[in-house]
Amino acid sequence: MKSEGKAKLNAFHAKIFGKNKFKYRYAFTGYALLAPAFILLTVFVVVPLLIAIVRSFFDYRSYADVQKFVGLDNYLTIIRTTSFVNSFLNALLFAVIIVVAQLLLSFSFAHVLKADKSGFGLVTRAIVYIPYLISGVAASIVFLFMTNYGGGLINGILLQLDMKPIAIDMEKTWARVFVILPTLWLGFGYNALVMYAGLINIPKDYYEAATLDGANWWNKLIKITVPSMMNYFLLTIVGLLTGALAMFEIPFMMTGGGPLESTLTPVLYLFNNYRNVLQSSSVTIAGAILVMIIIGTLNSVVFFLVQSKKSEDD
Amino acid sequence: MKASTQKKIGNVIGKALMCLVILIVLFPVLWALPSMFKGRSEIFELPLHWLPNEWITDNFKTVFNMPDYNYLLSIGSTTLVSVLSVVLSLLVNMMAAYAFARVDFPFKKFLWIYMFSTMFIPGITILLTSVRVVSFLNMLDTIWVLIIPGIASGYNIFFFRQYFYGVPKYIEEAAMIDGLSKGGIFFRIYTRISTAPMVIIGMSVFMGYYNSFLWPVMTITKKTELYQIMQLVRTLSSRYKGNYGVVLVATLISLIIPFSIYCFFQKYIVQGISIAGIK
Repeated sequence: MKSEGKAKLNAFHAKIFGKNKFKYRYAFTGYALLAPAFILLTVFVVVPLLIAIVRSFFDYRSYADVQKFVGLDNYLTIIRTTSFVNSFLNALLFAVIIVVAQLLLSFSFAHVLKADKSGFGLVTRAIVYIPYLISGVAASIVFLFMTNYGGGLINGILLQLDMKPIAIDMEKTWARVFVILPTLWLGFGYNALVMYAGLINIPKDYYEAATLDGANWWNKLIKITVPSMMNYFLLTIVGLLTGALAMFEIPFMMTGGGPLESTLTPVLYLFNNYRNVLQSSSVTIAGAILVMIIIGTLNSVVFFLVQSKKSEDD
Repeated sequence: MKASTQKKIGNVIGKALMCLVILIVLFPVLWALPSMFKGRSEIFELPLHWLPNEWITDNFKTVFNMPDYNYLLSIGSTTLVSVLSVVLSLLVNMMAAYAFARVDFPFKKFLWIYMFSTMFIPGITILLTSVRVVSFLNMLDTIWVLIIPGIASGYNIFFFRQYFYGVPKYIEEAAMIDGLSKGGIFFRIYTRISTAPMVIIGMSVFMGYYNSFLWPVMTITKKTELYQIMQLVRTLSSRYKGNYGVVLVATLISLIIPFSIYCFFQKYIVQGISIAGIK
């Protein structure tokens, strides 16, 4: 009886490992090394996600014990919520401006860094990275200080020039400008360094050959620099896009999403509504899942584009 | 002759541009610094002046002697949380990355996709339900809720796996002939040849924890002694709304820790971006 069980176990073992018995001889060590990360990711990422997905299909109110399956109703409710839609439109606007501005600025500045032969570029690279260390909360306070209505730097200058001071919490355009500016400030140095890394990785002989063929700087830029840096562009763009769609701390601190929701972002909307008793949290969670679908799709598309390009290159 | 003058002019313009960019990048912080020493009435006084007419230290006294919050304790606890998290995060993620890169086991491909795809899940999507999970585990208002949930990261595992793939296999084979086990190889060899990626990832983990705001706000509600620094800065910024000197002291002092750590590892980080940039 006992040996029969053992034989069965051996057969099962052989079925799984088969002729890979040798290949899998360290399987136990492998699982042991993997276990902590596996458990942590399961408990703190996968389980919360599963709960969120399930809850997005139920009508769940914390004060009633009734849970009713409602299918896609929560999703329909959230996409008909004006504030949520507005927050997405704002994020889209911010994303376009931030991606374009940051790419142009960091790509141009990377050329300045690359052209430097004096060693001063090294110092510059170390310094421009500094804002990347600062949190959105701290950066916002510094910018709020500069834009203070009563006599911050900007309004101080305007007042001394006998011009009308600006109130970033009253005027839509200025509110948006001062949500975008700190964001650009925080990320500029990092992105410039990434672009610089891309530039110096392009083999020099490409340019030398092009010079011999009589190419001007524009031709070199379009035919050599941009194509060689495609992966850097893709990754920077997706980083900036994801960052823009997930903007929270800066609008939260600078404007609180106002005036009239002109700087409300999806994450800020979700954050405000997680504590809103009037709206069922399932509706908010449905919105959160939509945010994930959008950001996730974006990320995975670019990720697989980059990976497939890498394997082409190899 | 002509080409060399052109080059010289180019160099001068380049340097001027770099100086300008450095100035713009540092300006907001530099502008705010002396205001830490300005009195309440002087701070927004016109005409604008950078340095205070009268240097005072009242703002510092206010921040360091609050009756209900302990500012320095907050900096200390945030630093402690961040350092512990860097150590644990490097350990957990590098172990997993090594297993994926150098050990064969059944269901490897499935486990890889499972763990790797977690990096596409934004924090905000699982924010509310994560709070439920940690509250179910009785972790709310403890130091553990700040550390444990963010330790494992699909992206960091991916990053280290890529790096380990680049390590020549013969090192491993030689070590095995010398009788080292797989675990021994990881701890004795792989952790020692990975200084550069460990500094880069370690720094980004540190900054992520030190600057974290949303998660502590959701999970540390009763125990003010566990308030993380950005949470405290935000609390003070609304409490001392009219008193910017105090808010600036609280904000700018909080930057000292990340700045010093950056100065220390600066060389690794600036060079390392060429590796990390390709994420």
